[in-house]
Amino acid sequence: MIQRLLPFATLIILFAALCFVPNFLSETNLSSVIRQTAVINTMALGMTMVIITSGIDLSVGAILAMGGLLGAMAMEKGLPIPAGIATGIATGAFCGFLNGFLTTRLKINSFIVTLGTLGIIRGLTLVISNGLPVHQIPPGFSYLGEGTLIGVPFVLWLLLACGLLVHFLLEHTKLGRYGFAIGSNPDAAFYAGIPVAFHVTSIYAICGALTGLAGMIEASRLMTGQPTAGQGYELQAIAAVVIGGGSLRGGEGSVIGTLVGAFIMGLLANGSDLLGISPYWQQAIIGAIIILAVSVDELRKRSAV
Amino acid sequence: MLLELKSVQKRFGGVTALRDGSLSVRAGEVHLLMGENGAGKSTLMKIVAGMQGLDSGEMLLRGQPVRFANPKEAAAAGIAMVHQESLLAPHLTVGENIFLGREDLAPFGVIRRSAIMERAARLIESHGFPLRADWRVEKLSPAGRQLVEICRAIASNASLLIFDEPTSSLSESETREVFQIVRTLKQQGAGVIYITHRLEELRTVGDHVTILRDGATVHSCPLADLSRSQLIQHMVGRDLGALYQREPIPPGKPLLELRHLQRAKILHDLSLTIRAGEIVGLAGLMGAGRTELCRAIFGIDPLDSGLILVDNQPLPLHSPRDAVSAGIALIPEDRQRTGLATQLPVGWNLTLSSLSAHSRFGILNSSLLAATESRFIDRLRIKTAGPTQKSVRLSGGNQQKIVIAKWVAQGARVFLFDEPTRGIDVGAKTEVFEVMDSLARDGAAILMVSSELPELIQIADRILVMRQGRIAGELPRHTTQEEIMALAAFEQEELSL
Repeated sequence: MIQRLLPFATLIILFAALCFVPNFLSETNLSSVIRQTAVINTMALGMTMVIITSGIDLSVGAILAMGGLLGAMAMEKGLPIPAGIATGIATGAFCGFLNGFLTTRLKINSFIVTLGTLGIIRGLTLVISNGLPVHQIPPGFSYLGEGTLIGVPFVLWLLLACGLLVHFLLEHTKLGRYGFAIGSNPDAAFYAGIPVAFHVTSIYAICGALTGLAGMIEASRLMTGQPTAGQGYELQAIAAVVIGGGSLRGGEGSVIGTLVGAFIMGLLANGSDLLGISPYWQQAIIGAIIILAVSVDELRKRSAV
Repeated sequence: MLLELKSVQKRFGGVTALRDGSLSVRAGEVHLLMGENGAGKSTLMKIVAGMQGLDSGEMLLRGQPVRFANPKEAAAAGIAMVHQESLLAPHLTVGENIFLGREDLAPFGVIRRSAIMERAARLIESHGFPLRADWRVEKLSPAGRQLVEICRAIASNASLLIFDEPTSSLSESETREVFQIVRTLKQQGAGVIYITHRLEELRTVGDHVTILRDGATVHSCPLADLSRSQLIQHMVGRDLGALYQREPIPPGKPLLELRHLQRAKILHDLSLTIRAGEIVGLAGLMGAGRTELCRAIFGIDPLDSGLILVDNQPLPLHSPRDAVSAGIALIPEDRQRTGLATQLPVGWNLTLSSLSAHSRFGILNSSLLAATESRFIDRLRIKTAGPTQKSVRLSGGNQQKIVIAKWVAQGARVFLFDEPTRGIDVGAKTEVFEVMDSLARDGAAILMVSSELPELIQIADRILVMRQGRIAGELPRHTTQEEIMALAAFEQEELSL
């Protein structure tokens, strides 16, 4: 149990250590950490569900771009802001559904399917936009990524809401329970009479919807529908899940773990910025953290059995 | 004496596979090794072939004590084994597989591929096998792979060859060719050990027979000295003990009916009926199609034709889902792989198949779930620290009870138990039988597949015996192990002799 809290403890120690860094505790800095990590955090919530079913979604970076672009285009065409946001989310959900459908119906490994859809979705996004960003967005849209509600960034409330939703889905619904069962032992789940394909597809669609929302947050922060947005984000989202105790073998993962994992990466990036450490080193440090986190987790599991 | 094994013992964890395995094989002799499923034949042979170590006992090869650390050492000593399950490299060709690990090498480890393929082609041709050296093994049928295994063993020029039931998947002409090979090997002075369930096939080639039972050698003599009934007696003499006594109840209406089930090469015109309150035993040798029958009823494997009725309703059986919604439950043979998500909590496994009844609009009712979990933990006396304990920590017997409870909670009425007592200790076996009995009393129809003949005799109301995908016959309650074995192992014509 003590070791299970390791990611949590790491986050607290990291936070405490950063308190000694000048400017870290300033309101501007803290809210910028929250805003910066919100996009990865939201994607990582969806990725958590997918990884629990022992799947993976490499296409989330591309989905983010397509969701953000289509949402921005909808608003450019004159749709109200909420409808634009809904367009982004729906686009993501559809892309996710496609991933789930291909994985379950063609019975192809999700790594391969989403590697393929990564290319397809990114390519289509570029085709639709002709490679050009969309700028004609109503000014009020910036509230989503940059606004403040009751003294804290609006995205934090949004993240909390999404976190609670995914937590509820995982812990208190049939969908979540089946997800754990499928990821833990797909054969046993099939033999238990679970409609595996339906639930796996649903989970990919939910992951896509959350990614679409993340795309809207990104678009709002940049005030641009950027067809090249989100490149490499999939790896950060996967890293957040894994640092937070999710297992790529499936059957393990939690919302709180993933959020902690994403914040650890966010704080590391922010801390090294403040300390003037080169972003080149940041990449190397985060890579090392991933390997460290997973090997500690492996040791815990082996000693537990 | 070519090979001598004296009092060999082998344990796997807490399970004793061999207590007292002894065997003597002469050069130029075909030695049959017989025994029931699980008697220890394959374990004994794996020790000889260096695939497993032995815990105690002696192994002498040409009078010299030997122990093999791995198959390579055994091969170097002139021992080759034809395995029951194919151990070939599927992506390589037939020829490459035949000479795998014994390739002709040019300098710097370069393989002389053409030389290998030519030798393989000659070998295949000389036996008239329907194979080609350049075919990839993954494309071959089980029979084809078996023939490759046989070629591989012959090509090694071994002085001792072990055949582990090689003919179960072969056609008649292929079987004859295998016997011809065995005869040739014998004339060349090699020793042959041949594991088989089917004595009738080997009357013509065998010289000597050794019979194993419950991990010990019980009899060894020239084959000609032993009649079939004597042989069966030695094979089945497993202790009946006082496991469990069950009083059958008068059966109700038919719950499960199978009509003319057909699946190419696996099930042939198979019909049976199980009534409410009945426990029907299903006996048969390995490969008779018992597990395959369960899989077909449960909608895992498709049928070519035939009808499955539950409660007089014909079923569309395309997936386990269809079977589950019709009230069929499968307690699979391979609990760890297909019965349980072992890494998940006990409670989650218990309710996995009944979540719909425990939820509304997809939202789980946790107090209802908790009630069901503790009710079944109590009712089936599952020994666990609580519903949140990981299932993997429980003993085999308690894991089995979780699998059963999962289906009872789901409301199943037809239960297919596939080897329900495998890997379970004696006390837990009795508890599993008690659960089966109480299910029957509550009106369930139960099919119990088992290789443990004493258990079948004590639990089942009647026993069906399968042989080569067919129901070979039906025996009443309190039949004998000999009668079951006679039906399972021998052709009808032979019996009437």
